Amino acid sequence: MGKMEDRIDGRNANQLRPLACSRNLLHRAHGSARWSQGNTIVLAAVYGPKAGTKKGENPEKASFEVIWKPKTGQIGKQEREYEMILKRTLQSICLLNVHPNTTTSIIVQVVGDDGSLLPCAINASCAALVDAGIPMKNLAVAISCGLMEEGSIILDLTKSEEEKLKAFAYLVFPNSPLTVIPKVPLSKEQPIEQGIITSVTRGAMPVSGYFDCMNRGVAACAAISEFLRRSLQKQSSDDTSRAA
Amino acid sequence: MDVDTTSTTTTSLVDRIVVPGDVVLDLTKMENQTVRLGAGLRQDCDSISVMQAGKLRLSKPNKYWVESSQKRYIPSLEDAVLGIVVDSRSDNFLVDIKAPNLAFLPVLAFEGGTRRNIPKFETGTLIYARVVKANSIMNPELSCTDASGKAAEFGQLKNGYMFETSTGLARTLLSSPTCPVLEALGKKISFETAIGLNGRVWVNGSSPDDVILVSNAIMRSEFLSGTQQRTMVEKLMERLRGN
Repeated sequence: MGKMEDRIDGRNANQLRPLACSRNLLHRAHGSARWSQGNTIVLAAVYGPKAGTKKGENPEKASFEVIWKPKTGQIGKQEREYEMILKRTLQSICLLNVHPNTTTSIIVQVVGDDGSLLPCAINASCAALVDAGIPMKNLAVAISCGLMEEGSIILDLTKSEEEKLKAFAYLVFPNSPLTVIPKVPLSKEQPIEQGIITSVTRGAMPVSGYFDCMNRGVAACAAISEFLRRSLQKQSSDDTSRAA
Repeated sequence: MDVDTTSTTTTSLVDRIVVPGDVVLDLTKMENQTVRLGAGLRQDCDSISVMQAGKLRLSKPNKYWVESSQKRYIPSLEDAVLGIVVDSRSDNFLVDIKAPNLAFLPVLAFEGGTRRNIPKFETGTLIYARVVKANSIMNPELSCTDASGKAAEFGQLKNGYMFETSTGLARTLLSSPTCPVLEALGKKISFETAIGLNGRVWVNGSSPDDVILVSNAIMRSEFLSGTQQRTMVEKLMERLRGN
């Protein structure tokens, strides 16, 4: 713990960048949200549910389409990969049989990119889906974890950290719910209670390092989930909430 | 002692803002009781959990629902809605009511409607109608008569001005006792209004000034409390009458 060097922006290993979330910004979109983590800012807009599904989709379920718009440049393979990951993540948290034979479009616009772009986009899309009232099973909360050379984990990577690190992972967990059912005590075999939704890794890391990332990610996601809940509590015409 | 880090246990979530995933009822504790679920809740094996974010409400003895406000409308039976005709077929009109599917308004669903006196609605006509069939699979169906077959103010709305709001504001405007903004406006101005639960409001008054004043007052009143609404209406009236 004492050997860790300071990160460039002065945070310690477990510290997240300042979070800000505002919903209902776009007048025409049925749901919209802007999520920022430091200088990484993503604006998500949701249109739907609209009638009809695309050709290859199952008409007995609701279908989702994701359009990713980068800040500059043409749309290429990286954007298609992000679209696919986002679509699969959001499909797994939404209830697909409430509005069969409909399409919901989610458009993600990157406003600023300073690392952790995919987790920021997932958080923004989830907040936009809540704003649009799309039925969901639970919320998704995403975080990026990097594995340093000596085995320590840092959270919420910036762009320069992502470029320097050997391996890092984007992890998406379900949010922590409020429940009236008394909680069953956690057993040793099931350290992560609600499971994991998505995991995207870059680089090679040992298995123990990956599980360390997951444990830290769960704890951080509990904090982000708390922030998301607080920002959803406020119901005003253009509500904004910030957390440092 | 285990530290509870992943979820918090509370006694009751009624009248609190809930998010998707929250568990609001444990059915194993409620044997031999009927529970009625409204919008925004679903049954997940032995528990009731939340689908949409909003405020959880309970109507004694056993009706639970989540009050949320959206820009889109999910059709439900016996709602009065304002629709815009987009197309007409031989046996029904296709009407847009801000729902996932287009609604059908049968050509004969008017008071005294026969094949000989079918109304001619062009594209863009504003209709005040009642939902008579609504489920997630089929297109919703509307009717311009009430349950006994009388016209009862349903039908085409002529003149006036229509604007869109959220479903939450539409419900507030229709609540009883009368919404403060409508009451304050009604004391000074005479106007008529049709409010659709799908988030559309139509206002008609004797002069365009009145219509604009009423529409602006309604649009601004969404997030204000009762007294704030009354003050807002007074300020609007002063500004317009004083000039």
